[in-house]
Amino acid sequence: MDLTTDTEQLALLTATADWCRDNMPLDQARARPAGLWAELEAMGWTAMTAPDMGLTHATEALVFAELGRHLAPVGLIATAVAARWSEHPGKTALALLDSHAVGGRVRVYDPAGADRALGLAGHLVATTPLPSDLGGAPGLDPSAPLAHLDPAPPFTALGDPRAGLHLQLLTAAFALGCADAARDMAADYAKVREQFDRPIGWFQALKHICADMAVRSAVARSQLYYAAAALDAGDAEAAFHAAAAMRLADQAAIENGRANIQVHGGIGMTDEAYPHMCLKRAHLLSFVAPARRDIILGEAA
Amino acid sequence: MDIRFSPEEQHFRAECRDWLHDNVTGQRRPMDAAAAIDFDKAWQRRLFDAGWAGINWPKEYGGRGLSIVQQVIWLEEYARAHAPWIGANFVGINHGGPTLILNASEAQKEYHLPRILRGEAIWCQGFSEPGAGSDLAGIRTHARIEGNELVVNGTKIWTSFAHVADWQELVVRTEEGSQRHKGLSWVICPMHAPGIEVRPIRKMSGQVEFAQVFYDDVRVPLDNVVGGLGNGWKVAMSTLSFERGTGFIADQVKQSQEVEELLERARSSGAIKDERIAEQLIQLRAEVAALRAMTYRNISEVVRTGQPGPEASVIRLFTSELGQRLERMALLLAGEEVLDFRYGDDDLVADYLRGFAATIAGGTAQIQRDIIAERLLGLPKSR
Repeated sequence: MDLTTDTEQLALLTATADWCRDNMPLDQARARPAGLWAELEAMGWTAMTAPDMGLTHATEALVFAELGRHLAPVGLIATAVAARWSEHPGKTALALLDSHAVGGRVRVYDPAGADRALGLAGHLVATTPLPSDLGGAPGLDPSAPLAHLDPAPPFTALGDPRAGLHLQLLTAAFALGCADAARDMAADYAKVREQFDRPIGWFQALKHICADMAVRSAVARSQLYYAAAALDAGDAEAAFHAAAAMRLADQAAIENGRANIQVHGGIGMTDEAYPHMCLKRAHLLSFVAPARRDIILGEAA
Repeated sequence: MDIRFSPEEQHFRAECRDWLHDNVTGQRRPMDAAAAIDFDKAWQRRLFDAGWAGINWPKEYGGRGLSIVQQVIWLEEYARAHAPWIGANFVGINHGGPTLILNASEAQKEYHLPRILRGEAIWCQGFSEPGAGSDLAGIRTHARIEGNELVVNGTKIWTSFAHVADWQELVVRTEEGSQRHKGLSWVICPMHAPGIEVRPIRKMSGQVEFAQVFYDDVRVPLDNVVGGLGNGWKVAMSTLSFERGTGFIADQVKQSQEVEELLERARSSGAIKDERIAEQLIQLRAEVAALRAMTYRNISEVVRTGQPGPEASVIRLFTSELGQRLERMALLLAGEEVLDFRYGDDDLVADYLRGFAATIAGGTAQIQRDIIAERLLGLPKSR
């Protein structure tokens, strides 16, 4: 039993963080350059667990948390799942199927350059081909171009139920990254913003908001590691652990997102500052592969 | 990263389970204070004789010299078997002992550690004072040096098991006029020495588990100073780091067990059909899983680097608040039954009332949050 990161994982993590800082900073998440996707592919992040790369889910989850921290394109999640379970080359967009009505709409994120979309249809991961001219414009999350398919096209399920766990795991990793970004943004601001002749982070009222953000991130991170290692080990409880990781990561992302805005005060409410970006991304991620209560309660058939 | 235990560890788990199955009788710890201590001591002795005391303590002092992973496996099986609460041995096993292992002289270790493991010596803590709670550096209990003795005067409070303890981990000011963290010493104080008076304090749960201790010219050999005169703060911090690191593993493990029992209770009573209760149970089950993952992460960090990771302070806070959420859930499920509670009952109501200690003792939740914000996030120190 070992839930620490080994030296190879640490090296990969540092390389990822460095690359993201230089090439994919959070403050440019609204307008990513057209060539970014090709660079992400070249870095190998679109197919880390694909058969020919063969890295573990644990390593992939670590890296995705780092990518998520920089509000990387959400298409990475769908593309990585497709690469692992259908060996589909190229970009796959992320689909959110309307959970309510049959024949409802489908939301497609990151459609540019993708020839199909992948998402959860019921309990299984499924895909559908995309028209080539889909376009896409930001919805609630300004960093995620969105298109609609209306009416919903038919989806074809991937055979392996583990694909759903993989989708959930990577979404949780992105959400954790989002929670971490909000935590660090709040802490950095609390160190430099001064009121009453001292940094606001000196005051316990602010300090404790930040501490709670750190707790939520740490809790979600540990469960994510456990869930990823459970999927790698073929553990019988892997579905439970992935669902728990998803729930805690969603909560961390949304709660930290809100707290970050509060810590920033007036500037936190503006479009110009970045706190809202984390919160909006958190809301988007919470719909991708939500934790099912029957699985967390151990009642799933 | 790997969640699987090695064949050797799995074998160890089976051994633990077998022994606990044969030796845990389901007999409850008596409520009567004197009987409870006899019970605690006898149980600790049985653990020692069977080789289950001090699993990760050094062999030369009576431990098994095994890894912290095996210690965790033991605690998991211990909770699963509903084995008795550690009771009066808590301070010796979880604070005093580990502090001695790290800081004490050879003679101190040789004398005290085996006695702690055999359940022969009960320890209590002597850190907090009426005027030094969260602000521990405000300690005023002092000791002057006379020949080869310390002469202690002052008072300590919230001292669990003071009325039955043989020894105390006592932090006193040994340099006259010293301020704050300086001039303190960590001393092994004999609780039976003349001049010590223990005044028990009843808790709101009815139990008399802690006390105020008064020192009137209490003479303690200078040899009982641990880690050197004037180094008391450093030694005390190493004691507290167990609390923030690995000292509460038993609680963390027990919580996994508790959430399953709550779930079972909610199912059999039908309470789980209540949407609000189901929602809370979902949350608790996810949080308990995460706590276990955090504990494992922390443990593997200790195995890899020799010390807990920076997130250990988070575990301490999260465990204490999660424990309270579990106690409150138990209360909710019990309904108006709780109104029949009387002093002397040792049930879920007593657990709930006693559980307030979790976010007060050993550093309040507020102090823990300060620590997390300052050490993990680098926010400016407000003290």
